[in-house]
Amino acid sequence: MSEHIVSSYDRDLEALGRRIAEMGGIAEKMLGEAMDALANFDTELAHRVVATDTRLDALQREIEESAILTIARRQPLAVDLRECIAAMRIAADLERVGDLAKSIAKRTVKILAEARVPRAIIGLKTMAEVASLQLKDVLDAYAQRDVERAKTVWANDTELDALEDSVFRDLLTFMMEDPRNISFCTHLLFCSKNIERIGDHTTNVAETIVYLVTGESMPTERPKGGKPATPADEAKEQSL
Amino acid sequence: MTAMPVIETKTSTKVSVRNLDFYYGQSHALKKISLPLYTNKVTAFIGPSGCGKSTLLRVLNRMYDLYPRQRAEGEVLLDGENILDPGIDLNLLRSRVGMVFQKPTPFPMSIYDNIAFGIRLYEKLSRSEMDGRVEAALRGAALWDEVRDKLTSSGLGLSGGQQQRLCIARSVAIQPEVILFDEPCSALDPISTAKIEELIDELSERYTIAIVTHNMQQAARVSDFTAFMYLGDLVEFGETNTLFTAPQNKKTQDYITGRFG
Repeated sequence: MSEHIVSSYDRDLEALGRRIAEMGGIAEKMLGEAMDALANFDTELAHRVVATDTRLDALQREIEESAILTIARRQPLAVDLRECIAAMRIAADLERVGDLAKSIAKRTVKILAEARVPRAIIGLKTMAEVASLQLKDVLDAYAQRDVERAKTVWANDTELDALEDSVFRDLLTFMMEDPRNISFCTHLLFCSKNIERIGDHTTNVAETIVYLVTGESMPTERPKGGKPATPADEAKEQSL
Repeated sequence: MTAMPVIETKTSTKVSVRNLDFYYGQSHALKKISLPLYTNKVTAFIGPSGCGKSTLLRVLNRMYDLYPRQRAEGEVLLDGENILDPGIDLNLLRSRVGMVFQKPTPFPMSIYDNIAFGIRLYEKLSRSEMDGRVEAALRGAALWDEVRDKLTSSGLGLSGGQQQRLCIARSVAIQPEVILFDEPCSALDPISTAKIEELIDELSERYTIAIVTHNMQQAARVSDFTAFMYLGDLVEFGETNTLFTAPQNKKTQDYITGRFG
């Protein structure tokens, strides 16, 4: 994109993009570390993840403020307007990703006392790896304004949905095997839901990137795997 | 661009510009312009200085006829009738297509006569009928409440914004079908500008409106359709909502985002 006649306008928009990149890096790191903390029952790391979240929140507010200021000061149009709106939206999604990672970290601290069946965590780790990869891809797509890559991320979220489904089945099995597993596995269920939601925020970011570059919105319905949409739906179905 | 831009809309076309070329002597100012003005819609012409937007506006009521060595080729259909036809009655045309200029141009006479003057050219009305028409025009231009007690004082005594609304009232008074605005707010403060914009919004319920403006945000605010022109070409014509959020043409994008040059 060629440059504005007013060069400080370019600097404003570049600063927005840089801070989104910084947020993305922090959110990615939080997710990875939250998962490591859970897998290794590392409370110290879990506490660090919780502490990092304040930085993410602060960055989101900064991005929002400067986007609003840019809108007020420069009345951006077309791609510039989409740039400001996209920055606000993506910042909000990344902030939520951080919250969800923080929630996993908090659970890690609680779970520790009653840690059982470590193999129950394996499925969650796979989910977290997929979610991390998706998040990384979407952030790259943002940095490069790459619509095709964003669309791939968007379509790939079905994998995460399917994984959540199988994690749900595994955890259910462990709980049925031994009622003493119930508390531990319930915590893990929430963690898997958190990771699935991180996937949803990632697809939101992908949608925003498509809007940012093309000005067009993605279809509202994302393709779903052949299975019922969520474990909750499935549970309902089984109880009938 | 020769093909007529097609926009799906339920409204009919009031003015249809077709393959319009315009020359100032040797200089080719408009090149094969084709675009519609939809009935009761506001169409904005934007583009850098010298792009031909004011020229296009001046063709729409044949203002250029006042100057030598200027000529237009092509067709401009007003309700299907070609107004470039040499046989057209220019006085009648200008009563159907009114114009408001960049700088307010009140006549050096009373507020009342500023309005009545134009009406008298076309109609013979009784005093009470004329009073009614003057009031209606001033109300239509959202000026009545401010001037009702001083109709006999000079139009030149009004503020810039009021003078501009007086000029709009003058256009409205002769009950035109189309109103052309040539940068109507460029000499006005933000409050007066807001009043004019509000007025344009109201007027579009009854009139078909074309507006030339250098203020992109104003075009985005007041118009339903926007035409972006550059060096005598029509680069992009489309619904304002689309043109200002996701323009199709890179040149349009560069211009409206301030990246030109």
